[in-house]
Amino acid sequence: MKYALFLGCKIPAALPAYEMSTRAVLGRLGVTLVDLPFNCCGNPVRSVDREAFVVAAARNLALAGRAGLDVLTPCKCCFGSLRHAQRFLDEDPALRQRVQAFLAREGLSLPTTVVVEHLLPVLARGVGLDAITAAVTAPRTGLRVAAHYGCHALRPSDVTRFDHPLAPTLFEDLVRATGATAVEWPRRLDCCGDPIHDANAPLADRLTQAKVDDARESGAEVLATACPYCHLRFTESQAGGARAPLATMLYPQLLGLAMGLAPRTLGLP
Amino acid sequence: MSATFLRMALLVSLGLCALGILWRVSTWFRVRIGPDARTIPLHRRLSAAVGGAFAALFSRRTPGILKAFVLDVLLQRRLFADSKVRWLGHLFILAGFLLLLVMHGLAKLVTLKVFPAYQATLDPFLFLRNLFGAVTVLGVMMVMGARRHRPASSPIVRRPGDRIFTALLALVLVSGFLLEAQKVASPRAFYRMTKEYLDTTDPEETLPLRTVWAAEYGVAFPDLQGTPDPDKLAEGRELHNDACASCHTRPTSAFVSYPISRAMAPVVETLDEADAERWLNYLHVFACFLGLILLPFTRFFHALADPVSLLANGAASTGPLSPAARATRRALATDACVGCSLCDDRCSVAPIARHLGNPALLPSHKLLATRDLALHPHSLDRVDAHARRVAEGAWLCTTCGRCTERCPVGLDLADMWDAGKGDLAHAGHPAPAQWVQERTALEWADSLGASPGALDVLRDAASPLSAHRETYSACVQCQTCTNVCPVVAHGGEEPGAIDLTPQKVMNLLRLGMVDLALGSRMVWNCATCYQCQEHCPEGIRVTDVMLELRGMAYRSLGQSRERRQPE
Repeated sequence: MKYALFLGCKIPAALPAYEMSTRAVLGRLGVTLVDLPFNCCGNPVRSVDREAFVVAAARNLALAGRAGLDVLTPCKCCFGSLRHAQRFLDEDPALRQRVQAFLAREGLSLPTTVVVEHLLPVLARGVGLDAITAAVTAPRTGLRVAAHYGCHALRPSDVTRFDHPLAPTLFEDLVRATGATAVEWPRRLDCCGDPIHDANAPLADRLTQAKVDDARESGAEVLATACPYCHLRFTESQAGGARAPLATMLYPQLLGLAMGLAPRTLGLP
Repeated sequence: MSATFLRMALLVSLGLCALGILWRVSTWFRVRIGPDARTIPLHRRLSAAVGGAFAALFSRRTPGILKAFVLDVLLQRRLFADSKVRWLGHLFILAGFLLLLVMHGLAKLVTLKVFPAYQATLDPFLFLRNLFGAVTVLGVMMVMGARRHRPASSPIVRRPGDRIFTALLALVLVSGFLLEAQKVASPRAFYRMTKEYLDTTDPEETLPLRTVWAAEYGVAFPDLQGTPDPDKLAEGRELHNDACASCHTRPTSAFVSYPISRAMAPVVETLDEADAERWLNYLHVFACFLGLILLPFTRFFHALADPVSLLANGAASTGPLSPAARATRRALATDACVGCSLCDDRCSVAPIARHLGNPALLPSHKLLATRDLALHPHSLDRVDAHARRVAEGAWLCTTCGRCTERCPVGLDLADMWDAGKGDLAHAGHPAPAQWVQERTALEWADSLGASPGALDVLRDAASPLSAHRETYSACVQCQTCTNVCPVVAHGGEEPGAIDLTPQKVMNLLRLGMVDLALGSRMVWNCATCYQCQEHCPEGIRVTDVMLELRGMAYRSLGQSRERRQPE
């Protein structure tokens, strides 16, 4: 398996451990990653100018298409953004034409076959749960993990096709593959609060707090994430609180430990 | 030109240059970029800089500073890692220019002391002067070549004075070569020398020597054009060896000036009559002086600011900088930026900048805008198109940090954007999610009502979902969207809480009252979690519509905001 790795803006700048652990784990599982000169996925400009958003996303798709590669991103917001751009391009021929003209100015063209995937489905369906289980040499037996799905990967399901939107199992399956126990928690599909943090920080904090409290009350020792925005929201909003924070861990870190990889290669202390 | 006058002019321009430098350096401690810099007095920043420098010099960080000096300042390793052409070009300019300055410009002060046998007209000095000049020109061409081929939508930033300085630099180089060429070909210059050393300017008496200098030294005597007379040549060579040879190498080693002198030969008499040598000399010298005076106020001030910035990076301890040091570093960064625009090429939102036609999104432009706002805090008091574009540059930045990573002079641009965002918010230009809270949804709707046509955006291609009533005509007001909305659930009771529910927003659209929805907290506090859209039994794309409404609001409410400000 070979993918163009789309890191987006947040991971290299604010969460390099996610890149490290993703590369370490996928490398061990036989997935080849190629770096392309991608730009912003377009999501930040979507609230301002829909077409600028599609253009930014489309340029990334065009770069992947030129390299003949599908896209793998560890970021759920980038994932949703690229998938949405594909939908808008498919349902609006006039838009498609304008975007095509924009890309043509630098000799690029819209690909028809590029598939955008998130890290988790690639692991669960591409690599496969059996292969992952087989690669686990140091199972996290007994560790109680709450899997946080992340909105932009899960919904809208007709765009993201990530898993069943109301009763997904993909993330829990992956958690169990590491030998850990996936806890049942009512708020597992809720929003982490990050997208409204800039507009309304108190509201965002209430959303985050509700999730963390729920995970804790459900008996989780670790909150597993697979998106830099969700992950940083959980760690930042818990920092400086009165209670000891609920540990957060990126899924490839959890998996990497179970595969016996050294913590420092996963960006862990 | 009298030597006294020349020395006076040099001293005056050196003095003005020094004053200019002092003025510019003082801005490093006076200019306040970022909200945190506003409260720090000048003396705190001065003492932080001086204290920091001393602490770094007499600590274990000295090797770090030395390493920074050799690798970053002299060898420019950050530029090397990025663009080999630019690196080589820059090195050529740096080496060529410095060597010309030291060996030619300061010949009496430096070269003569180091090489007592120095003569400008002797090899290797004759050859080297041409080499240094040619290397400088080549370097300038390489750097300019590497900067070409840019799309019109991401232009190179220019500061006032940059073009003048570039023109002066070109003038110095070109006039230098022309002056040397004129001196080679000029019969008048020849007679000036025979007057001084042989006490004669008689053409007949100097005929043998003239034959040698016409044949081998390129002097363009009109009467000695053809094949030289062998007897005269032999006779002249004897005299030449006695009187001239000790100070003159054949000018062919001036590999740039000599070919130029051949081109000038046919008109050299006219040029002599017009006193060309004197005028070229004035041009050369005064262009140098003017360049010296202007230097602190152009892009080339980076020659001083960059080493300071790079050394400060090398000296910095591993921990975070103190607020005072950070404020100074930001001001210094605005001088250290060369405007090379390598950051722009890597900028994550560069395609968005191109599409929006707004270069203010690009780092090199943003840096100048940040500095301008700090220098003129009232320059963006009006909410207008210019302010909007500058503000877009700040809040559409994704803080991906690629500019900081790529900057060849190692500027902490990420910190700069953070500070600039704060200054813009302070000046009344925060992100739209913030300024939309200046009024309630009803007040915004009223402001739009005053201007018919404001909602033409509805027919805009940018809002295809919202523009079609079919998008939400199926809504049966079942409230499922509201019931699953986490923002409604956690909306709270305090002021600023959620005003409309998603279902109410859909209903307003259904009734054609989009103006009432645009400024609503619901639209701007939507978490874009897609619960509503996923759960809608009628398949209405509620979240997609919310995002479109924001785009519409940004344009129409933004225009209303521009219209309604106090004069």
